[in-house]
Amino acid sequence: MTPVAAGSETAARVTGRDAALQRFLAWFKRRRWTPFAFQLEAWEAYLDGDSGLIHAPTGVGKTYAVSIPPLIEWLAESPPGGGESTSVPLQVLWITPLRALANDSTESVLAPIRDMGLAWTAEIRTGDTSAAARARQRERFPSVLVTTPESLSLLLSYPGTREKMASLKSIVVDEWHELLGTKRGVQAELCLARLRNWFPNLRTWGLSATLGNLAEAQAVLLGSASSAGRLISGDLEKRVEVDTLLPRNVENFPWAGHLGLKLLPQVLACLERKKTTLLFTNTRSQTEIWFQALLQARPEWTEELALHHGSISREVRESVEQRLRAGTIRCVVCTSSLDLGVDFSPVQQVIQIGAPKGVARMLQRAGRSGHQPKAVSRIVCVPAHALELVEFAAVREAIAAGDLESRTPLENPLDVLVQHLVTVALGTGFDENQLLAEVRTSHAYRHLSDDEWRWCMDFVTRGGQALLAYPQFSRVTRQSGLFTVPDPFIARLHRMSVGTITSDGAVAVRVVRGAMLGTIEESFIGRLKPGDKFSFAGNSLELVRLRDMTAYVKRSKKGGGIVPQWMGGRMPLSSQLARMVRKKLSEAHHGNFGGPEMSAVQPVLKIQADWSRIPEPDELLIERLQMRDGIHHFIFPFAGRLVHEGLAALVAYRVSRLFPSSIAMTVNDYGFALLCASSISLDETGWHEVFSTDNLLDDLLACLNSAELARRQFREIARIAGLVFQGYPGSGKSTKQLQSSSGLFYEVFQRYDPKNLLLEQARREVMERQLEASRLGNTLAGLKAMKIVRCEIPRLTPLSFPLWASFVQASVSSEKWSDRVQRMAAQLQAAVEKETDGAGSQHAGN
Amino acid sequence: MLEIECAGERLRLLVEKAVHWPRTRTLIVADLHLGKPAAFRSAGIAVPEYTTATDLERLGALAAGTGSSRIVVLGDFFHARAGLQAGMLDAVARWREQNAALELVLVPGNHDKNAGSPPEIWGISEVEDGWLCPPFSFCHKPQSCDTGYVMAGHLHPAIYLREKFGGGLRAPCFCFGPGRAILPAFGSFTGMSNMRPGNGDRFFAIGPGQVLEIDYSN
Repeated sequence: MTPVAAGSETAARVTGRDAALQRFLAWFKRRRWTPFAFQLEAWEAYLDGDSGLIHAPTGVGKTYAVSIPPLIEWLAESPPGGGESTSVPLQVLWITPLRALANDSTESVLAPIRDMGLAWTAEIRTGDTSAAARARQRERFPSVLVTTPESLSLLLSYPGTREKMASLKSIVVDEWHELLGTKRGVQAELCLARLRNWFPNLRTWGLSATLGNLAEAQAVLLGSASSAGRLISGDLEKRVEVDTLLPRNVENFPWAGHLGLKLLPQVLACLERKKTTLLFTNTRSQTEIWFQALLQARPEWTEELALHHGSISREVRESVEQRLRAGTIRCVVCTSSLDLGVDFSPVQQVIQIGAPKGVARMLQRAGRSGHQPKAVSRIVCVPAHALELVEFAAVREAIAAGDLESRTPLENPLDVLVQHLVTVALGTGFDENQLLAEVRTSHAYRHLSDDEWRWCMDFVTRGGQALLAYPQFSRVTRQSGLFTVPDPFIARLHRMSVGTITSDGAVAVRVVRGAMLGTIEESFIGRLKPGDKFSFAGNSLELVRLRDMTAYVKRSKKGGGIVPQWMGGRMPLSSQLARMVRKKLSEAHHGNFGGPEMSAVQPVLKIQADWSRIPEPDELLIERLQMRDGIHHFIFPFAGRLVHEGLAALVAYRVSRLFPSSIAMTVNDYGFALLCASSISLDETGWHEVFSTDNLLDDLLACLNSAELARRQFREIARIAGLVFQGYPGSGKSTKQLQSSSGLFYEVFQRYDPKNLLLEQARREVMERQLEASRLGNTLAGLKAMKIVRCEIPRLTPLSFPLWASFVQASVSSEKWSDRVQRMAAQLQAAVEKETDGAGSQHAGN
Repeated sequence: MLEIECAGERLRLLVEKAVHWPRTRTLIVADLHLGKPAAFRSAGIAVPEYTTATDLERLGALAAGTGSSRIVVLGDFFHARAGLQAGMLDAVARWREQNAALELVLVPGNHDKNAGSPPEIWGISEVEDGWLCPPFSFCHKPQSCDTGYVMAGHLHPAIYLREKFGGGLRAPCFCFGPGRAILPAFGSFTGMSNMRPGNGDRFFAIGPGQVLEIDYSN
């Protein structure tokens, strides 16, 4: 009676499962933990064979939500007593976006395994893993393999991986929100599609911080199988407290370039009160500046202060992380390199220097302290200038309202697909139709057209379109029905380039005959001459020479020098936060200054209201001021720096068609400024026409130096598509003759293969990523409904002052800039004081 | 085109990234890197094949246009051994036939050492340690030399011109110092390296349609 037998078998499995579950509940109990509802829900969903996405704030135990159920399943299904002499074959692939997280994830996974004496192993495989260990792993994988998207992709490039992974049950993608919306995320999507195709019963689980678009995040993770996925929420009552250090005297005329160092004494007091602090800044250069300032103020802390950012060498970073875990460090000055979920339980306090720019990011950073379930996360905010007080008030309100940013997934990045095609050809080889179907099961390429696919296939098999001359080219060739890579040299080159999605023209910084200190952007170091001093990784250094992608330096006794400006340090204000900033301003407009930050900034906003206006959410404020150098217009859409860059160029272009004149521009997160020599006079209708959405793309292309931008964007694409190799240490002479700049490729393609889709992708990425064209379009559409409020201002206002200051910065040397801006601030302050003093008599006169 | 005086000789700096020495009817070029696209393609990197043919055409036209009877190549004629493929070699052979009257002198560069000598049938005289033609000494790498004023290549010199409101422009250049000159790379599929001011160098940038002396002292 088969059905009955099957039934009793199921029943037996359920009983076995229940017994196994009890063992883990007991393990939790021994640790004095109670599983959260979301953890139990995830265990059950996993055991039912489902896939899904779990979102929860950091530090509530997402790891155990997914690391335990594979163990339960195995315990329930393995025959009791026997077969534990050898370790369990591969069960779980654990993908982490950051190598730094790999250690922590492995430790968490191993904790119950060790305590319960299970025959499971867990090992790391990243670019840092030794070649010997990697080869051994390829022979026999551990039960849990913790790896990065690049290393996983690399695994797919070896024949035989499929067979060796045959026992795989599930994939976990940790910190999925970090990968979502990036090319590394797309690389992960392609790998997942491949693994799911190999093993149809594979379960995929993602762990994510809370995002504005969780359903979409889940759809991207699970690809075409997403309809059956589970979305599990661990949004417990995790309390986040946001406190702001209030400056004693709020400066009425804030300008960017201040770094909040005025609040140094209060920050020092905060550091003295707590045992361990993370001090976050927004850019790597601010990190260097703050580190130096703290060290100067408290030389006795030399051993207790550390610096951590993405450009510092791995050894140094790891030692800092180790000391953090051990709690033997007072303060680490860091950037987003410590944003992610590394568990540093001893961290008692988090300080944020400068505006948060985004709600999710602020939550993430706050979550670095109180990294235990139910502990309160506290973040102390240090405004770099007065208007940032508004931003901090706004972020607190947005956190309370749960109004978080979304991460937009990428669509059809052909450079990543090209790389993947070669990887798969190297691995198992592929049948064209089967691979196309598989690629289309991923979210990123679900709408990939036949033409785009054709082009990618041509690119890897012929170099370019059939009619163009790419003689003797072959990277991928067809042999007995399968596309493969027969040339071992090409195979080697490709494997070397697979991991390079993130690094951009990185030059190693090394002490002459000494230690490696980290990496630095080529664009910065390229501008220095031997003998120039600069500040890096907390050291004062002097450049000795630059050779073979390495900057040789010696330590400089004298302090000072230039602080490198790293690219990408400046995040634009997010839409969510911008909306909340406008709301806080609107409250101020109506005289409501609730909360410590708003009451501190009240005098500044009062000047803004007196001399101009505090805009309401449905108003577009345009301030106009005649100065010696011409007529300034200050326009405030509050849409973030990137959007304003595009908008300023567009408006300048359209205005100059109406009033021929050369126009200079500057932007910040709140608005942009136009300076022109001749007079512009536009009424409200005129301005609305300037902000029209008609011909948007054409006008944008016409006014921006889009060719130059695309050329720069092409760098990344050329690297991913395997056109450009960055000779790196150990790659030897063989690749030296294959080094070329992406700019050269860009020119050659422009001239000889202008329809190359990688060029098209560069143009598209410029529009979307650098100019946020769709957000720009939305902003313009929003402006249509807004009331334009034009104000003739008597002098610079608190809102326009920082924009004016960056005009000055663009046109004079930095010392003169600082002098001139300070002089202007003093003049304006004098005007304020005169008005305040004279206010009584004025009223009396009326 | 810009005419300058150097070591007592009149030299014409051409927009086409070459130097014309009218008295001896000589055209001087550096760093052709022929076969570079082919070398890339053989490693599976897609580069279209137009550059070799167009570069040779440019060279022929330039020799004819200046009435030169001799071309001196300051090294790196070939890019790499892997680039010596039939298509490229045929193209050079054809070009040599069409320009058979030209005297060709090659001072081998570091890339030529990897790629090997050009086929004898092309009639190119190779001069290993620099070619002396007073007052000049033609070399690949810019080095000082007591036998004459050095004309060299190797570095692919460029200068970076900064604009007032951020941004800038990179241009290939000629670089003339007291004892040696460095020529820009002639090949179109070649990169550039930025030069730094100093050593008493004069810089001549190649812009669209003209060669301009740049005051690059700061």
